Amino acid sequence: MLALRLARGARPAVQLRRLLVAAASAGTGFLLLCTMGYAMGHPDAAAAAALRLAWCVAPVAATVQFAVAVARTDPATRPRSGLSAIGLGPGRLMALSAVSTALSCTLGSLAALLAFLYLRGDLSGLPFGGGAASLLAADVPLPVPATLTLLALVPVAASVTGALVLRPRPARGGPAAPGRPGRPGGGAAHGRPGTGGDGTSAVVPEAEHPAGPDDAPDPAAGNAPGARPPRTRPGHPLDPHHPTAPLPTPGGLPWGSAVLAAGLAVETYAARGVPAPGGPALPGGFTGGPLGVLVGWALTAVGLALAGPALTHVCGRLLQAVRPGALRLLAGRVLMEEATRIGRPLGVVCAVASGAYAAATLYTGSRPDIGPLTALGALLVAGCAVATLLTAAVEARNARADTTAALLRIGAPAATLRSAAALRAGALFAVFGPLTWAVAELAALPLVH
Amino acid sequence: MVAPPDNDVLWARALHVKHNGSPALCGVSLGVREGEILAVGGPRGSGKTTLLQCLSGLLPAEQGEIWFNSVPVHTMGPLVRERLRRDRFGWIDPAPVLVPELNAWENAALPLMLRGVGRRRAKTTAMEWLERLDIGGCARKRPYALLQAERQRVAIARALAPAPTVLFADEPTAPLHRADRAHVLRTLTTAARSHGITVVLATHDTDTAALADRTVSLLDGRRVNTVHLPPVAETEGRAACSLSA
Repeated sequence: MLALRLARGARPAVQLRRLLVAAASAGTGFLLLCTMGYAMGHPDAAAAAALRLAWCVAPVAATVQFAVAVARTDPATRPRSGLSAIGLGPGRLMALSAVSTALSCTLGSLAALLAFLYLRGDLSGLPFGGGAASLLAADVPLPVPATLTLLALVPVAASVTGALVLRPRPARGGPAAPGRPGRPGGGAAHGRPGTGGDGTSAVVPEAEHPAGPDDAPDPAAGNAPGARPPRTRPGHPLDPHHPTAPLPTPGGLPWGSAVLAAGLAVETYAARGVPAPGGPALPGGFTGGPLGVLVGWALTAVGLALAGPALTHVCGRLLQAVRPGALRLLAGRVLMEEATRIGRPLGVVCAVASGAYAAATLYTGSRPDIGPLTALGALLVAGCAVATLLTAAVEARNARADTTAALLRIGAPAATLRSAAALRAGALFAVFGPLTWAVAELAALPLVH
Repeated sequence: MVAPPDNDVLWARALHVKHNGSPALCGVSLGVREGEILAVGGPRGSGKTTLLQCLSGLLPAEQGEIWFNSVPVHTMGPLVRERLRRDRFGWIDPAPVLVPELNAWENAALPLMLRGVGRRRAKTTAMEWLERLDIGGCARKRPYALLQAERQRVAIARALAPAPTVLFADEPTAPLHRADRAHVLRTLTTAARSHGITVVLATHDTDTAALADRTVSLLDGRRVNTVHLPPVAETEGRAACSLSA
């Protein structure tokens, strides 16, 4: 009930984010139900149905990633001093956030069910009802357990992952501490079923940061605290006036580039004997494409997501490199600090964009019959990736609200702060845009003879 | 309209401010003379912070006038007020809110660099002020590696480095222990006097107010000459009112 009341009183921007989560969940649920409809209509084509189900992993992963990002940004579930005193501590707030995530996702699933039933013609009395009755196997009765399982997949996965990400953790400082609360930690990977599938970007959001504890000595080497031993000051979320230690430099660049190169190599090797155009099979036209190309694409995407934080950090370092003034100093240092938060969704967006570019290069003209469901899936993945990036940007802005207010109090012009933000965005675009384009060209090159 | 007196650098008349309907200031008038240290006293919730925010142009007053050097502040637009704050005013928060990504000297040099001063000159000035406040050794440390008192000194150096005309200090020693408190306050007042900086200092502490030239007392959003509060009883319960006595 508390989750409902908090959800009702939220600001419009927060409601919009929750509505977007519901929409993404609705789209994913509808895709899953359509897969079931196809399987019911073609009992003999089990392989094709399984392939469609496997492709659904990508939208599910994107939706879960977006839902978790929104849950982390939700102001209702942030620790607040007053609420902690009446018993709403971090643990209870974690449960609250899981419930509200489940609420939005279930809302979306219900909408998907309604649309599915409507298109099957089960809901009589409506105009245009049953428009896709033949496609969705309207003559077969609906299997209720399968429907419920498929519809519960997204809400359960999203709320479990969100709860794991937002779970209260011991304060940072020990070598085993995984990160500050709210950082997408490695433990999240266990909460989601279906990551082991063969979707392209399915494993991307949960990709383990390969150099977690190994990086711990880095900040001590960067700015050695002199005579004082390196203090482990707990960055308590309720205490904005005690600054937290800077995050360790993200070290995913070697791993990321290695995985990226391996992906490109695998794909090139697998595409050698394939006649042009030999892209992997889309569910719209099942032609049995080479599996190696798909594995290569997945590896490329994982590599981009791994390298994202480190590349963002490098961007920030370059921005504040040589004798910086106030503008470049603010832009660069903040980018370095926010590298982990911004870089990972940014890497995912780049992976999705390069995949989209490669697919657009491959499938134009030669195979124009991309069905509406494939288009819906692609739209879901792309939309969720972009929305996650924007949500991460909002989260970063919220986290820096105190500092921004203090800067405005000492008379920093708001225009300077805006230019610093624009400079950050421009630097990221200047680095990640060409990178995405190059990766996409390389990915599409061996397939377009 | 009465022109403000000549020697008042900052002058306010009949300020009325409400926070979301609840009254914060009810008709406060005061003048700040050039080069003086003016303490604004009064218990918590008496409107000290609101008065400082009004005077520094952070918070527009609903009624009343504010003049700075014979220029009306209450009629300025937000952009002009922002420039006035940047060029003429300094501000010290009760808690040191530094930019966590910049080290101590970069934090102290930030207002100078925002004013367009070159990096080298800004660094020299910031380092001088940090040396003066006894934290020159911490100039390359990030805020997380500093003690609270050191952070507050960095915040004071940040406010003093651009040599503002008026420095607003909103309980600058609130988060410090008493030893640090006296030291920080003494360095602040000494620096202000030697550089001719006018200081408006909000404090609820009479010891702090003793360092100032003049004290203006506020009580429940009004200016009072003497704060008459009921005397504190010696013991917790009074026998006369106790039912068990």
